[in-house]
Amino acid sequence: MEINIAGPKIYWTIRLFDGDSLFSKIEISETMVVGWLVMFIITGLCIFLTRGLKTENISKRQVVAEWLVELIDNFVIGNMGEKFRSFIPFVAALFATSLVSNLISLVYFRSPTADINTEAAWAIVVFIMITAQKIKASGFLGYLKGFTTPIAVMTPFNVLSEMATPIGMACRHFGNILSGVVINGLIYAALAGASSALFGLLPGAVGNLLAQIPILDVGVPAILSLYFDWFSGVMQAFIFCMLTTLYISNASEG
Amino acid sequence: MVNFMFLAETVSEEQDLVTLIPWTLIAQVCNLFIQMLLLKKFLFKPVREVIAKRKAKADAEISEALKAKEEAAAMKAEYEQNMLAAKEQANEILATANKTAAAKSEQMLKEASEQAIAMKAKAEADILQERRKAVNEVKDEIGSMAMEIAGKVIEREINEKDHANLINQFIENVGS
Repeated sequence: MEINIAGPKIYWTIRLFDGDSLFSKIEISETMVVGWLVMFIITGLCIFLTRGLKTENISKRQVVAEWLVELIDNFVIGNMGEKFRSFIPFVAALFATSLVSNLISLVYFRSPTADINTEAAWAIVVFIMITAQKIKASGFLGYLKGFTTPIAVMTPFNVLSEMATPIGMACRHFGNILSGVVINGLIYAALAGASSALFGLLPGAVGNLLAQIPILDVGVPAILSLYFDWFSGVMQAFIFCMLTTLYISNASEG
Repeated sequence: MVNFMFLAETVSEEQDLVTLIPWTLIAQVCNLFIQMLLLKKFLFKPVREVIAKRKAKADAEISEALKAKEEAAAMKAEYEQNMLAAKEQANEILATANKTAAAKSEQMLKEASEQAIAMKAKAEADILQERRKAVNEVKDEIGSMAMEIAGKVIEREINEKDHANLINQFIENVGS
């Protein structure tokens, strides 16, 4: 019995330079390919929803499109205030990508969010935005001075806590999704084992045949998937966006 | 040993479970912003445009309705004013008619009474004249009778003047 929970597959490797540095080769991994698929799905859905918009007697698709826009508007403006209207598409992109990435694991694909690179990328972007807002609010010197409060001795801790923000965000999201992947892998393997042990008890060739088929893997993991994929997936997308909006709007208050 | 080999083989075509790979990271940053632009172009822009269009339409309709309402109110006010004016006019006409009628009737009454008074006066004058005439006739009659009687009594001719004086004297004595 082999349980192998590994990282995303590498489909192609493009060599840029000789040598073995981090930047020497581009690996087109499962994360990237499924990420593109996710973008394709979201954009396709948007195009589908916004087809044939009318001012009156609107279609159900338009109702959904307008509801989505209103929802994200209310979310961003409610959390950040009217002056952050320009962040609406960014937060929408973050939420949509996170949500679809998390849920795409339901249809066989490996979630791009089960790769720390994805969350790290988002967290870095959010961290840059937070820092930009802080500098905008209190000036560059004021931003640097902020690390020495309340006393100069606290500076290393302040720097650490500043760093903890993006790392925490990335690891929280990644950890939740990865735990789903790991637990799902374990469950599938365990149920396959249980299935083979159970039907192996049957005598003769029938038992040998049935023991080869992981019958218990049908249906049973779906119940656990309800939590690890559906609930956790939606929740983590929501939490990531919530934290993004709150951190950015808090940063702008200095 | 076999297991280890298997793992090593799979690892060679899979990334580690938790590892930072710069190009993937950069790709995901780009993907996020590309996704943002795609959402902006394909979801937010069209939806906001159509909402703005609908709002403009609704606003136009509301302002039109308000305009119509104002017009109706103006029409109503005008109508009411006209009604009021008409009523006033009617009242005026009625009042004038009443006044005219009253004046006319008064005048008629006055004229009638004047006429009556005039008639009465004329009748009185007529009566007076008739009486006088009668008196005069009686006087003449008596005069001539008296003259005849006197002529017969005294049997003499008296001149005309003495004659008249005598008669008058006699009548006055009779009248008193």
